[in-house]
Parts: sequence; C-alpha cells; structure tokens
Amino acid sequence: MFLKKIFDYGKQEERVIENIKRHLELLCNACGFFHGAMEKKDKHLAREVVDSEREGDTIRREIISNVYAGAFLPYLRPDLCRFAEIVDRVFDSLQETALNYLEVKLPEHLRDECLRVAFLNTRMCEMLSISFDAMLNGEDLREKALAIRIYEKKIDDLKFSIVKDLRQIPVDDFWQGRILADFVSSLTNISDNIEDAGDQLQIINVSMKS
Amino acid sequence: MKIDEFMTTKIASIDADLSAYDAIEKMVDRRIRSLLVKFKGKDNDHGVITARDIVFKVLAKGINPTDIKVSSIAARPIVCVNRDVTLTEVSALMEKSHIARVFVCEGEKIIGVVSLLDIMTSSLIMRARGENVP
Repeated sequence: MFLKKIFDYGKQEERVIENIKRHLELLCNACGFFHGAMEKKDKHLAREVVDSEREGDTIRREIISNVYAGAFLPYLRPDLCRFAEIVDRVFDSLQETALNYLEVKLPEHLRDECLRVAFLNTRMCEMLSISFDAMLNGEDLREKALAIRIYEKKIDDLKFSIVKDLRQIPVDDFWQGRILADFVSSLTNISDNIEDAGDQLQIINVSMKS
Repeated sequence: MKIDEFMTTKIASIDADLSAYDAIEKMVDRRIRSLLVKFKGKDNDHGVITARDIVFKVLAKGINPTDIKVSSIAARPIVCVNRDVTLTEVSALMEKSHIARVFVCEGEKIIGVVSLLDIMTSSLIMRARGENVP
C-alpha cells in the first residue's frame, strides 16, 4: 500500500488506518439505517443511528489518541485528526436528523424527496470510503472528489426544492414547524459535512505526496 | 448502473393552456430547462416543453411569449422508459430519437426524468466507483 511504502508504518499506524476504515464503514451503515428508517417508516432503525453515533465517538477518540501516541509523521497528525473530527460531524448531523425524524410529522408530498436525499447521502458515504481506500493505494483522488461534489450538488438542488415546498406548509403549532424545519436542515447538512471530509482527504493525499 | 439512481425525481409541470411566458417564468424561477406539459382530459396525456423550444420557436421568431400557448410548442407524446433500463440503453434511445431527456415511468405514472447532463454525471460517478463505463 502507498502509505506503507512511504512511511514503512508499524502497528500504531495500522491501528489508525483500521480505525478510520471502521469509522467510515460505521458511517455508511448508519446512513443506510437512516435511509431504511425513512423507506420502511421504521423508527427502530432511526434509533440504530443514535447507537452508531455513540460507537463512532469511541472510534474517533481511539484514532486521535493513537495518532498523538506517535502514529505517522508529526506533520500528518493534525490533518488525520481533523479528518476523524469531520467524519464525527457527519455522525452528529446524521444523529440530529434521526432524532428529528422520530418527532417530525413529515408531509407525504415531502417524503419522496427527503427519502431521495437520504439515499444520496448513503451513496456519498460509500464514495468517501472508496476515496479513502484509493488514497491508501496511492491513487489520484480527482475522480472521487468530483463524484462527491456531484452528489452534493444533486442534494443541494433537492434542498432548494424541498425548502420551497416547505414554505407552503401551514403550521398550526410552533414546535411542529420548528422540528420540520430542523429535520430538513439537518438532513441536507449531512452532505455538506461529507463533502468537507472528502476535501480533507484531498489535503492529506496532497501533503503525503509533497 | 440503473437509471433510477440518477434520474431527477422532482418534475415541474405546467398546464398546456398557459402561455410560453408562464413557462419561462417557471423555468427561470426553478433553474430548470424543461417542464412536463399537462393536457386537459386524460391523466396520462403529457408533453414536454424545453428552453430550446421557447428560444427557437418563440423568442427567435419575435413572437411575444404571452401570445402563444404552451400547447402549441410542446413536443408530444413524451418518450418513456422503465426504471430498470441502463445508462447505455437510455443514451442509445436519446441518440436514436434526437432528444435530450426521457421520462421514467412506472405503469402510467411518471416517476422521474433523465437528461443528457444526468447521463454525463452518472458516467463520472461510475468511473469513480470503478464500474465499467460505456
């Protein structure tokens, strides 16, 4: 592997890499749980997202402590930690969305578009994971980064349309309206954070090669 | 990759009796390049109007867009495919029919639309995933 070639990494580095992979895999699963929760209207699956977020927190702590215990060259450490923190931000926005979903009264005509966003979020996560593997193999991330940006643009377009429809919905109760607005906002925020994580991978990739 | 993954599911529509000006307003407002046209009568009687139709058939001819109805410039009938067709099949259909978008239908219900840009973007995604790109 590319990293191995450059740093001749040992057990600590291996542990960090494995944990980052686990972190990303867990994120993809959590996105899948949320998509399933919306598709099957299964609130139990939405609660799985909350459990995944907690597990993700633990993995992030492990990554950061392993990195600062001496894994990788010092100049790479802040970037690797930042990547783990951004992935954690994705977990946070996913959890917020899941918690809002448990409370929200989602109008039927908005459901299809929100479901589409949840599906695209899952695809974006997969692409992030593919990008990480590609980086480990020393591949160019240009195509992967572009794919992530394409997904993000698609979600942005959907957000534009959902928000437009949202304004037409009569709200009788303040909290009902607030939760619906928060739900849409957090759901569409997930992709922004995934895009940031993709950008951070690019930074790591470039700094490893320079 | 199946087309239902990259189709656009939000389809903006317009009544056939409205004017080309109404169509322009809707397209500009929603930042889109085509509208599904709904004709009165049967539920599944549809056409399509594009930015190209408006520019070439109305504006380029110096016609006031408020004086012309959508029904007189819309293309009809629409071209439909089912959700299981592949990217290659849709591209071939577009090339053969000289069209820039096809609708994705489930029975008589329209569930999405695929444009040339959707095909290009999905080909990039397929490359990034390491899948075979036609």
